[in-house]
Amino acid sequence: MTASATDNDELQINAYCDGELDPASAIEFERRLAGDEVLKAQYIRLLTLRRILRSLPQYDMSPGLKNRMNSGLNSERPRTTQRPLQGSWSFHALAAAVVLGAVISSSIMMMIDRQNLRAGVASQVVAGHIRSLMAPRPFDVASSDRRTFKPWFTSRVHELPQVVDLAAQGFTLVGGRVDVVGHEPVATIVYKHAAHTVSLTTLPLGQSVSAREIAGYNVRSWDDAECTYMAVSDLPSADLATFERAFSAESSVLESN
Amino acid sequence: MFDEVFLPHMAEAYRLAQWLTGNAYDAEDVVQDAALRAFRGIKTFGAVNARAWSLTIVRNTAYSWLMKNRPKAVVFTDDLSMTEQQELEHEGLHGKRIETPEEIALFKADAEDVQRALAELPAQFREVIVLREINQLNYRDIAEITNVPIGTVMSRLSRGRQLLIALLGDRK
Repeated sequence: MTASATDNDELQINAYCDGELDPASAIEFERRLAGDEVLKAQYIRLLTLRRILRSLPQYDMSPGLKNRMNSGLNSERPRTTQRPLQGSWSFHALAAAVVLGAVISSSIMMMIDRQNLRAGVASQVVAGHIRSLMAPRPFDVASSDRRTFKPWFTSRVHELPQVVDLAAQGFTLVGGRVDVVGHEPVATIVYKHAAHTVSLTTLPLGQSVSAREIAGYNVRSWDDAECTYMAVSDLPSADLATFERAFSAESSVLESN
Repeated sequence: MFDEVFLPHMAEAYRLAQWLTGNAYDAEDVVQDAALRAFRGIKTFGAVNARAWSLTIVRNTAYSWLMKNRPKAVVFTDDLSMTEQQELEHEGLHGKRIETPEEIALFKADAEDVQRALAELPAQFREVIVLREINQLNYRDIAEITNVPIGTVMSRLSRGRQLLIALLGDRK
């Protein structure tokens, strides 16, 4: 190999073989590969090396090891969770494992689906928030008295919002509006924190998503026993977390009264 | 929690241990130790990547086990300099050159040859090759498990493969 590939080529060709180049670099590299005999030779060697490494006999654990390990662990486990020792790997156990694997992977698929749905809900809630900021005012009904909301929302939404006054914690109640999520009207309560607007939307239970940023707005959601709350604001996420704590604390006080 | 995090990766854990220690008996000890460590340390699992977390424990256990029981078996060299690397590429480990693609015929190495060659590699090169080719992990996971930057993983993989090719090309 007289005209040896440069170090950088060497790294690139390895990354290419390993599928670690980004698509653009990979296409670029393939173009070079086609016209460069030295590179091509090296590429073939790497692939050959991979082929022989991957065809090596693979070691599997002996059933004995599994048993010894289980008994070692069982002495560590608290008594209540102690499992019966497994005698040996039977065909039934194997079949059960296969079925379990299938169930787990399909439930993962379902989980992914569900998370996509939820992310869709979150982005609709954010869209409602953005729309409200474009309007002359971000609410349909103005009030700083939480008792006025109930009659107003009753005729408009299925899920009545929990309205709490958080003025003492720095979040001033200014109004409420109806947003539409998945063709359903939902209640949103609007708070002001200095110059910032916080929209708090009440959704049917089970719609919460992990804290995230959508379209430049921070989104934070949580559940109580009856519904999911989703807060959207341009506040930093730490402040939104403070808002959640204040809201949860205050609403649990309301409930116990 | 332990059952969901560590146990699903047992087969892979064992495979890795076997390659790092070089034999089945030691691998069994290592996996048992690692399982115990994982069980006790399950609280440190940060719910990010169960596979990488499990294999990290196995890898670290393997090295501390080897240091204790067979210290001579673990050879870490400095990562080779580019010059040394090039010498190796050009001369092979024992002075024989790998010349042309025709020598790819040398790649008709059998499993025993490859295992011997892998065993001859310094530990830091062997582990990245095993993690990449046997466990088929991506660079990011390998970097996490071996606790080095991705750039180092890349250069070790590249050099490790060169060394392996040289060793295989050089065999009698």
